[in-house]
Amino acid sequence: MTATARRKPPLSRVPANFVRAVLKGHSSLGLAFAAIIYLVCLTGSIAVFAHEFQRWESAGAPRLTTVSPDAVQHALEAAIARVGGNVEHGYINLPTPDLPQATVSVEKDHVQQGWIFDANGNLVAPGDAPFSEFLTRLHINLHIPGSWGIFIVGLTGVALLSSLISGLLAHPRIFRDAFHLRLGGSRRLQEADLHNRIGIWALPFHVLVSLTGAVLGLTTIIVGVLGMALFQGDAAKVYALFIPQAPKDDPRPAPIIDLRPMFPTVDRVAPHSRTDLILLEHPAEMGAAAMFNVQREDTRLANYDAYAFDRGGKLYHSVRSAENNLGERILGAIGKLHFGWFGGGAVKVAYALLGLGLTYLAAGGVTIWLARRRDKRNPAPGLERLWAATIWSQPVALATTALATAALGGMVSKQALIVTWAAVTLVILFSALRVEAATLSLWLKRASGVLLIATALVHLLRFLPADAVIWSVDIGLLACGAVLLWLAGGATAQPVPVPAV
Amino acid sequence: MMTFAACLPMLAGGALGAWALRRAWRSSPEKGAGDRALGWAAIIATLVWPAFVLGDTRGPFIALAMVSVAALVVVATGATVRVAKAGKSGRAGRVSDSLAPEPLDRPTNRWRSILRWLLAGPIGMIAAMAVGICYSVWVPGEAQTRLLIGALIVPVVWGGAMAWTLADNRVIRATAVLVGTALAGFSLAILKGFA
Repeated sequence: MTATARRKPPLSRVPANFVRAVLKGHSSLGLAFAAIIYLVCLTGSIAVFAHEFQRWESAGAPRLTTVSPDAVQHALEAAIARVGGNVEHGYINLPTPDLPQATVSVEKDHVQQGWIFDANGNLVAPGDAPFSEFLTRLHINLHIPGSWGIFIVGLTGVALLSSLISGLLAHPRIFRDAFHLRLGGSRRLQEADLHNRIGIWALPFHVLVSLTGAVLGLTTIIVGVLGMALFQGDAAKVYALFIPQAPKDDPRPAPIIDLRPMFPTVDRVAPHSRTDLILLEHPAEMGAAAMFNVQREDTRLANYDAYAFDRGGKLYHSVRSAENNLGERILGAIGKLHFGWFGGGAVKVAYALLGLGLTYLAAGGVTIWLARRRDKRNPAPGLERLWAATIWSQPVALATTALATAALGGMVSKQALIVTWAAVTLVILFSALRVEAATLSLWLKRASGVLLIATALVHLLRFLPADAVIWSVDIGLLACGAVLLWLAGGATAQPVPVPAV
Repeated sequence: MMTFAACLPMLAGGALGAWALRRAWRSSPEKGAGDRALGWAAIIATLVWPAFVLGDTRGPFIALAMVSVAALVVVATGATVRVAKAGKSGRAGRVSDSLAPEPLDRPTNRWRSILRWLLAGPIGMIAAMAVGICYSVWVPGEAQTRLLIGALIVPVVWGGAMAWTLADNRVIRATAVLVGTALAGFSLAILKGFA
């Protein structure tokens, strides 16, 4: 064996036909799932800042760092009174550094209503955050009812994971090309370089978010099959391994459960901690129970304890995160690792940037395929138009919903935002029937840039916020708008007659 | 605040690692050995030290994100900008420029395509579930741990099966392997039961 042959990277010895076969599979899978992967990744990149957007939406609400037990009790009683009793469940979110506000929600007849409360426990504003809710649910289940939406998103995570595997196998020059980034010149080469460099250098992040996303999305079906195969069809037995048992059902009416004596118990059993969430079961029945989700102040990823109390304030269930086994620790970490909610603002920014890279990966794959067709003198102008519309409809549609939220505030509902998003998307997709791809993408970039800048300005003028985080969100929106307008300017200057997506 | 402060040296470590690897990549294999060693050492050190400062799992995961961002910035700073060629895009994107292989153009028919997608989709999912459940049943350990690792195995195996079946030209072989895996996995799992 010669010295040159010895130095050859192992991947470059992979048979060419194998690489081409894998590339065929990679291409087919990418084309089949590109649009949905793009949408899920784009919304996921924005949803990293879900708490900041929630804060942005409720800019006028009181900011709290702590709340007294008396205020919590008062807020709960006021919320139950507002819906006229007979509440099945209650949820009390207490202030956190990310979201310094307190909310109480109650569920009656499967309808949930919520309010923000002040330091005295008075309900001062609706607790809805329609834009944040719209955005996160679009990422989690595409607003498709039942378990279908979340399953489709889970399947998308699997497709993304599969694309990463096949993309890696289909790229024998992975190390030799590790730093090639050739912009300009051939559009196909430029897009391939961007696709491959982003794909390789952010690979651990891509694997992490696709794997955790797939597990989160497929939980229902995995647990269902586990229950069917191993627990005589009873999926509840699988869940029971992870969540505390509800107390014995006793539907006799009773005064509202008193949470105040539970706070000192939590302080005693979990010192140096912060209660983030209180979940209530039938708070106005004899069988009432309250579960405190308590975050410990340490450096562990899964650092939530759970303490459940019955109506009499007796602690009947406790799970200390420090004593969790590996499986429980993985479960506690999956959501945080998926959304980037484990290392403060810097990690969120890194996650958003890497998420946008993944979004570009999904979009760029189809662009490469279209450019390859054009290179082989077999262009698909219709598909080029459709893809340009698909890609650029989303910034426009999402920016329109953000502008509606900023302008109309509490008057806009989540349903209205879904309708707005769907209408804008459909109009743009239909416009692809008539408008050429380059023109379409140019105008949609301009439109999304202008809409984002308008959103930030309207929000700033309307609320004149004192909160630095809200300012950061508005400045971020302005910056994104400026980047989109700059991209549109660059696109106008480019003379290259290849598909512009 | 401490996490934010720790992110800066992580970015610096990632950038140093990527920069050294790029220097190695640009030079001949003999001359680049030192830079290559420095690059990998910087990246590994950047992934390890946060474990001692920010938590044994939290720290490395933060570092993973920071190293990726820093490396991409280094790659971007080395971008070469070429003059856009108007006219024939086919000529502008010569194969010799790209060196990317073309996807295989294999003969197929409707039924083979349907079977291939069934294998990549539902059949692959069932086989992956069989593997995950079989793991949960047979591997010793705490019930929650076995179930969680089994659940993590499902998308990995399904993703692998998807990549394989969409690439493999022998669709019958793929069918046999996936159906066999599903039958064997579920049979073994049911045989023992969950304890």
